[in-house]
Amino acid sequence: MTERGRLESALERALTDDALSRRRVLGRGATLGLMVAGLAGCGIEGSASQTLASLQDEASSTRHPKAPIGDWTFSNWPLYIDKSVLKTFDKRYGGHVKYIEEINDNSQFFGKVRQQLAEGVPIGRDIVVLTDYMAAKWVRSGYVTPFDARNLPNKKHLVPNLRSVPYDPKRQFTLPWQSGAVGLGYDIRQTGGELKSFDVLFDPKYKGKISMLAEQYDSAGTVLLQQGKNPTKASVDDQLQAIEKLDKANQAGQFRRFTGNDYTTDLTKGNVAIALAYSGDLVQLQSDNKNLRFSYPDEGAMLFTDNMMLPAKVQHPYAAETMMNFVYEPKIAATICAYVNYISPVDGVRAILEKTNPDIASNELIFPPDEVRKKLYNYPNFSTAQEQTLNQAMAKVTGA
Amino acid sequence: MRQRSAAWLFAGPGLLWLLIFFAIPLVNQASVSLMSGDPEAGYTLTWAFSTYTDAISAYKPQFLRSFGYAGAATLIDLIIAFPLAYFIVFKAGRWRAFMLLLVVLPFFTSQVLRTVSWQLILSDSGFVVDRLKDIGLVASDGRVLATRTAVIAGIAYNFLPFMVLPLYVSLDKLDPRLVEAATDLYCSRVAAFRKVTLPLAIPGIFAGSLLCFIPACGDFINAALLGTSRQYMIGNVVQSKYLNVLDYPSAAALSFILMTLILVGIAIYGRLLGTKNLTEVAA
Repeated sequence: MTERGRLESALERALTDDALSRRRVLGRGATLGLMVAGLAGCGIEGSASQTLASLQDEASSTRHPKAPIGDWTFSNWPLYIDKSVLKTFDKRYGGHVKYIEEINDNSQFFGKVRQQLAEGVPIGRDIVVLTDYMAAKWVRSGYVTPFDARNLPNKKHLVPNLRSVPYDPKRQFTLPWQSGAVGLGYDIRQTGGELKSFDVLFDPKYKGKISMLAEQYDSAGTVLLQQGKNPTKASVDDQLQAIEKLDKANQAGQFRRFTGNDYTTDLTKGNVAIALAYSGDLVQLQSDNKNLRFSYPDEGAMLFTDNMMLPAKVQHPYAAETMMNFVYEPKIAATICAYVNYISPVDGVRAILEKTNPDIASNELIFPPDEVRKKLYNYPNFSTAQEQTLNQAMAKVTGA
Repeated sequence: MRQRSAAWLFAGPGLLWLLIFFAIPLVNQASVSLMSGDPEAGYTLTWAFSTYTDAISAYKPQFLRSFGYAGAATLIDLIIAFPLAYFIVFKAGRWRAFMLLLVVLPFFTSQVLRTVSWQLILSDSGFVVDRLKDIGLVASDGRVLATRTAVIAGIAYNFLPFMVLPLYVSLDKLDPRLVEAATDLYCSRVAAFRKVTLPLAIPGIFAGSLLCFIPACGDFINAALLGTSRQYMIGNVVQSKYLNVLDYPSAAALSFILMTLILVGIAIYGRLLGTKNLTEVAA
């Protein structure tokens, strides 16, 4: 018998014809079953709303008892923390925080974890940081775990104007991480002067030299400001009308690209003269390119706040709340602010920075003067269905 | 019987893999594509075939672009890769292995990173664009980045090795004595290339074209990073539908339409080339 023959007969003994045929029948049956199960599958669960009241009920009885801190996970946006803060935390409280810079876009991050949230399984992250409208959506859908207020004594340092927001009137589910404004980022060599109005976004002089944010809350809100309307009180029709205006300008080649955070490359490389931009980014970019400017236009600007949240079914709530409390210590908040250059939601940061980093304390992008602050507008509130309509309309404009 | 059962056993892991990661997801997505609903209420199977017709009519330009760009990039790759593979096989001598390494070397880094570096290379006031302006290939107020040219060039660059390697394999198997014999029999060098080299390289051309064209059709990174919304391909739409708009049925339907169109395209292409051993190059 050849080597090959022996091998085959050995295999043959292991799988007698009889067993094999049964196996085959079983196999076919199973395949068919899977096909049917797959095709007639039970559908995809939606994010049907829970009322704010029932969540608030839950919040009053939430207890996250003190527990030793082991390994836990914090998901945030890129370049959004001074990493020394994480080391200090680990040293002081033990355990290890796995810090992932994975959130680049609110909708995309939501798209990534949505199915798990809808099925009610943990998403493997203990803190996530999401922008107002997305945070609102998570609260509305019951995708958050309420805080145990006893673990968050430093919440008292939260600046007064952020203590209550429509989607979370008592800050029981969301705690601001940083705020920022959506204004004009530009290269002063290319514009030849300072920019004071959003009108430049539609000025034919800059045709093809402008980048626009793809997120409709930012871009359509800005268009409404340019039109002299109050974007916080925008109706769906207002918003749709603004999106249509963006569409027309885009068809005419006014915008070079629709971007997320990636407008920064185009701006520093001089591919665009003007970008609809986030205030904190520009402070950082200015250190690389002295010609870049950021302006809060006369019409005002959209104000966004990114919020820390505990996702539903969170696995390490005590560790996460300890971290939230930690970053609300004014000294720690000052360290973060000096690094990220956004608007800090923690009271007392400026006083500390005046001593340690006077140039940051006097930077108007980080600490906007009162007359600017008055003209910073929050995002409007839309239902999930309305938001879907708007996102779809915007997706059409951005070509996808 | 004996041979067959052994063969099945050896094919088992592969088949299981295909079942779990290809067949089941495929059936699942087929069912998703026939669902209707919205992200809030969820999606239920309603056999909504209209999603398909709606998707085709709404995204016709993106489909046309996908095939146009992928086809153009494949053609460019063929034009670049054939002489390159020919050179490596017949002229490179002891540098052969090294040159092959050079072909695949850029692919040791991620595609996203490579494409981002193209963004920097092609930026409006960068060295490359300035030189192109000097020689008049780009208008003085023109640009390369964020144009159709940049997207097609990016795709061609990203898929070049998939063309070079199959061509290399099929040319490597070509016996140079056949070409010699042709010239001995009074074939001109051009005729010998046309009648001997090219036909024998067809399996490589076919495999290379497929390996470039198919993934290029579904590509979205190049259009996203090097193009604008006016260059978006069907991959960009699917990505946005899945992750941003959360319209899973349309995204699934678009994927199936793309798959069907590609399959039909390949069938026609295979017929046109008319070779029976198209897959032999893989051996």
